[in-house]
Amino acid sequence: MIRVQESVFDAGIELRALLEGRSDIGAVVSFTGLVRDFNERPEVQALTLEHYPGMTEVALDEIVEQARSRWVLQGVTVIHRIGRLEPADPIVLVVVASAHRRAAFDACDFIMDYLKTRAPFWKKEHTASGDYWVSERDGDHQDARRWEMST
Amino acid sequence: MSLTHINARGEAHMVDVADKPESTREASASGLIRMQPETLALLAEGGLPKGDVLATARIAGIQAAKRTHELIPLCHALALSKVAIDFELDEPECCVHVTATCRLTGRTGVEMEALTAVSVACLTLYDMCKAVDKGMEIGAIHLDTKTGGKSGDYRRDEAWGARAVAPSIIESSPSPIVTGEGVSGEVSVGHRCDIATPCLRVKCLAELRERLGVGDVSVPLERLPSSDVAGLKTALKALDARFEGLDQGRVLCAVNQVMASDATPLTDNDEVAFFPPVTGG
Repeated sequence: MIRVQESVFDAGIELRALLEGRSDIGAVVSFTGLVRDFNERPEVQALTLEHYPGMTEVALDEIVEQARSRWVLQGVTVIHRIGRLEPADPIVLVVVASAHRRAAFDACDFIMDYLKTRAPFWKKEHTASGDYWVSERDGDHQDARRWEMST
Repeated sequence: MSLTHINARGEAHMVDVADKPESTREASASGLIRMQPETLALLAEGGLPKGDVLATARIAGIQAAKRTHELIPLCHALALSKVAIDFELDEPECCVHVTATCRLTGRTGVEMEALTAVSVACLTLYDMCKAVDKGMEIGAIHLDTKTGGKSGDYRRDEAWGARAVAPSIIESSPSPIVTGEGVSGEVSVGHRCDIATPCLRVKCLAELRERLGVGDVSVPLERLPSSDVAGLKTALKALDARFEGLDQGRVLCAVNQVMASDATPLTDNDEVAFFPPVTGG
């Protein structure tokens, strides 16, 4: 299940929803990304997440499909928030269920790496010294490339 | 040179523009409002009693541009195709720089609209902040550029030389793009193609939209030297110099919401989006 929403999510509720009524799942891994109060500048007071409606959902769907083609997965939930968020707010949730832990760990890691480099979201941070658009990080691209080399 | 708004008898009159040819006219004007550092800080963090100051001033400027003919006696009522208002908070100089750009295809220039938009945006900033700072000062309102029309193009910096512009106004900082919160300030209804003309719908997103000052634009397919993304970029740059910014930094492209490259072919009614590298997650 893939959702792009303004409202907050509860990782516990989403995780239980994915597992409900299932006894074939041996492992579930969840990742929650949060707003930090420091980034390229200190004192981040809030951020605004913009996305490209339509393309966002398709891009996320494609990333999940790629994960499913690499690992045998019993269930995947991806939720990404948009709009104005404050420090400590959850931004993104990825929950992956599989029969075995390695597939669940790796697929969750893969989905986050691809999400950060391929899904059309942009962050603008509001700090004490003004607003700025967050720039891309080389590290994110290196992380995403790991999956190309290992196959 | 004579004053066009005065007739042979020395009376004020409105110029008959019916016989002038239509052309694309654009004008940019700017000004500033000086304030106490504390006021500027409150404005930056949104702590003023009347709420979102910049968003309100932006709407006021756009509205003012549209109603210029009601304020300036001999101005024509114009169907503006675009009004954009931008603010730049200048902490070292303790002021807010206000810029307005107006555009239309028609028979008269739009410099009065741009100047009126700047003036009213400044007045609105005063109104929104006066509870905490009554000593604010509005100044340096002037026309920066004007293009199109019989009298030719005008650029203030060329016409006046360096003395016209105080150093505080032209100094640009190397820091990342800094913009106010709220809406992007873009009201773009121009360049609509008619239904029979094959056309592309072009979007600029996020930082690119704010950097170029362009949100949505339609481009007739016939303007493209080649029917692909590279051809579209060439056509956009010919349409408006701001699109030179498409070559600055890493700019990505999607056609019909799928990642694309310069060689991706384009056909009628395609949606083409340009945007900076993604930073979600």
